[in-house]
Amino acid sequence: MPPSQLAKTFLDPAVVARLGTLELKARTIVEGFLSGLHRSPFKGFSVEFAEYRQYIPGDDLSTIDWKVYARTDRHYVKKFEEETNLDCHLMLDVSASMAYGSRGITKYEYGQCLAAALGYLMSRQRDAVGLTAFDDQIVAMLPPSARPGHLRALLVTLDRLQRGSRTDVSKPLHQLASSLTKRGMVVLISDLLDDPERVIRGLKHFQFRGTDVIVFHVLDPDEIEFPFERATRFEDLETAEEVMAVPAVARAHYLDALGKLIDRYKRELGACGIDYHLISTAQPLELGLLAYLSKREKAL
Amino acid sequence: MSFLSPLFLVGALAAAVPLVLHLLKRQPEPRVKFPSVRLLRSAPVEHTDRRRLNDLLLLALRVAALLLLTVAFARPFFAFGGGAENAGVRVVALDTSLSMSAPGRFERARALAKQAVDQAGAGALVSVVTFADGAHVSVEPTADRALARSAIDAAAPGFGATSYRAALNAGTEVLGGRPGAIVMVTDLQESGWDDASGASVSGSTEIRIADVGALLPNLALTAARVSGDHIVATVRNAGSQPREARLRLTLDGQPSGGRTAGPEVAEATIAIGANQSADVPFPAARARWATIVVDDREGIEGDNARYLVLDGAARPLVLVVTATGDLGLDAFYVQQALVVPRSDGEAYVVEGANGQQLAAWSQAQLDAYRAVVLLSTRGLERHGRELIAEYVRAGGGVLVAAGAGIDGDVLAEALGLAKLNVEPPQLDRRLDDKVRRLAPADVRHPVFEPFGGSASSLGLVKFLRVATLRAADCEAVARFTTGEPALVDCAPGGGRALVLASDLNKQWNDFPLHATFVPFLHQALRYLSGGRRRSEYFVSDVPPGVAPKPGVATMTERAGAPERLIAVNVDPRESDPRRLTVEEFQAAVTRVKETTHAARRDDIRQAEGRQQVWRYVLALMVAALILESLVAAKTA
Repeated sequence: MPPSQLAKTFLDPAVVARLGTLELKARTIVEGFLSGLHRSPFKGFSVEFAEYRQYIPGDDLSTIDWKVYARTDRHYVKKFEEETNLDCHLMLDVSASMAYGSRGITKYEYGQCLAAALGYLMSRQRDAVGLTAFDDQIVAMLPPSARPGHLRALLVTLDRLQRGSRTDVSKPLHQLASSLTKRGMVVLISDLLDDPERVIRGLKHFQFRGTDVIVFHVLDPDEIEFPFERATRFEDLETAEEVMAVPAVARAHYLDALGKLIDRYKRELGACGIDYHLISTAQPLELGLLAYLSKREKAL
Repeated sequence: MSFLSPLFLVGALAAAVPLVLHLLKRQPEPRVKFPSVRLLRSAPVEHTDRRRLNDLLLLALRVAALLLLTVAFARPFFAFGGGAENAGVRVVALDTSLSMSAPGRFERARALAKQAVDQAGAGALVSVVTFADGAHVSVEPTADRALARSAIDAAAPGFGATSYRAALNAGTEVLGGRPGAIVMVTDLQESGWDDASGASVSGSTEIRIADVGALLPNLALTAARVSGDHIVATVRNAGSQPREARLRLTLDGQPSGGRTAGPEVAEATIAIGANQSADVPFPAARARWATIVVDDREGIEGDNARYLVLDGAARPLVLVVTATGDLGLDAFYVQQALVVPRSDGEAYVVEGANGQQLAAWSQAQLDAYRAVVLLSTRGLERHGRELIAEYVRAGGGVLVAAGAGIDGDVLAEALGLAKLNVEPPQLDRRLDDKVRRLAPADVRHPVFEPFGGSASSLGLVKFLRVATLRAADCEAVARFTTGEPALVDCAPGGGRALVLASDLNKQWNDFPLHATFVPFLHQALRYLSGGRRRSEYFVSDVPPGVAPKPGVATMTERAGAPERLIAVNVDPRESDPRRLTVEEFQAAVTRVKETTHAARRDDIRQAEGRQQVWRYVLALMVAALILESLVAAKTA
């Protein structure tokens, strides 16, 4: 199904934003999404038993199969098929610039819903999912886990996030990249309003450590289209810098600068195997899920 | 720059409208909090500072346009004369009256006047006016302070009396409707307000007083007169301490009668209390004039002497023209009344003549009389009528009692009053048929002055027979109770004539028997002789050809007439030490709207009409609006 058709099928993000809890939002998105994918090629995930493995220190004691221990007097842990899935890190930008929204939902709310939906989907697929929220530093971090109660913890953490101040994407990227001990997947949800050079370098850090990266470049439609008509005094959400602009004159220059930025992200990130997805807050959140599944498919 | 309609400048307040709008809506453009401002940096954006500059330029242009519009409506024009006129004019009025001549006073006045000149604001014009009983503009408004100071140095006190009205009128004239101040450098003598009335100045004129100070101790001769057989001098001590005054009388000239006599001198010394006056009598002598001097080296020198014309007789002559010339027969009551001295000691020498006698008189003979009482025209030939007519034309006074001896036509010719018609009473009328009383029609007329508020006492006189007076050119100053004119005042030529519609010899009335008869006659003759034979003048009102300084001078009434002596004295009011306070002075000045306002307004209107500056101002406004449109389009 082409994305344009999906966009018509899926929920309007503004409608999703008005749903009650984050868990409800995530479930609504994912369930609807999955029900729409019954004929899709994304199948085969299960929680079927895969094998036993001898216990090694550090393994979760709850995974020890005590019946096998009774029979063999050895400690074995059960390995399920889904546990072969990924450790996934959701990185959500909570900087002040994410607070902008022109169509009933802000970039932050959009990213929050997207992260929740991805977490829900990952949890449902038994992928270990963790959360890292940041502005110019990491403000909240939940290590990846596939435990049943982890999703709730993730959603609660998402729900309680406070919006931050200025953006510094590269610094949290490097921090997280340095702390990763095993390969996995990192999903970055940000407006990437930072020095692209430093952002790309941070993302490459993950790539360097063997981690797959999906970048959701979330922008508001106003940022993409610059639809202003009257002379407007633009005040930067993070720096409070004021710029007086006549849109008729400034639009072309703005769109050109934005296009160059997006092209650079696409080009340089694509060159190093990082999936880059420019996503508008007007687009259905399910497109993000689709991108994740596609990436996961490739990763496995 | 001035404005024809400055009230329109109130419209300049409208200039505050864009300012207020600007302040209320300083950021009319929408403000959007936007995350991608960094991407706008490369766009040709307008940063706030530049925008503010443009806003200010727009604001300035709009305000300028509004201001120019209001200025154009106010009709500006350039008042030539520059800033000096706008800065105002300071008129320094320097008192040069007699009272300023006391030792040291005028030096102080000069210093105060120079101080007033120096204190005039930068750019203000200065004028110098000297004043006593008249005012003289010494320096027209000028920016040259040195000229004004030199004019002050050149000024000197004279013998005139103080007249603040003259000074203020001259000052107002100099100001000519311009804003300014009149600085009165004076000793604030109370007598300076003549007739107890103040003066009027423009409401925009500021009056300042530079007080020279109170009068120093001074002895002054305030009057000299002949009273009976004495010459009486009045001396005033204006000091706060009793003083002893030493007076000297000098007689000069030729006594009548042809005897030659040298000057006679008499002396008298009298003690006078503080702020009091005293009369000093000297024995009268036959001389042409007398000079009385009081010794006073401390006070005003000009009031130390008094001059008195004796003119050969101590008492003035009055001619009574009767039917026979025998006063005892025809004018007994008139003669007796006139020889009685008045309260001021003056009495008349009454001489009689009939009409035939006048035919042989010369004009000089008749002119020697202070006044003429005409009781009969019988025998008055043409020459006599012409003598009287000329006498009247030359300023003489004639009292006519229109009794039985008066012929109306002859009287009209003798007085030169063609419209005077005197009709005798009808003979067949019963004498007591209608008793008339006399009532003053105008109690302010000088002839009723001695009666004051009791002029109605004239109404006690019973008039049994009266002539009918019709005189179109004369004023009826008294009427009978029947409404007929009783006393008319005529002014033929330069003289005066009072015509009573009855006789003065108790034939037609009982007037001579009343107490009012004597004062009436005396006052009537005093009034009639007022314009003639006046022998004493003040310095301020000397007749033409006579120098305005104290002394004895000669003058002629007309060409070919014999010379006669007059005494010129200083006004005794100048010796009056009573002073005004500055507040009293200011209160006496009435501020009125400028009388020259209309004329000045016309001048201004014409000047504005010639220049039509408003056209250029409007052009400037249009230019400002065009520029505003350009800037607005650029920044929209």
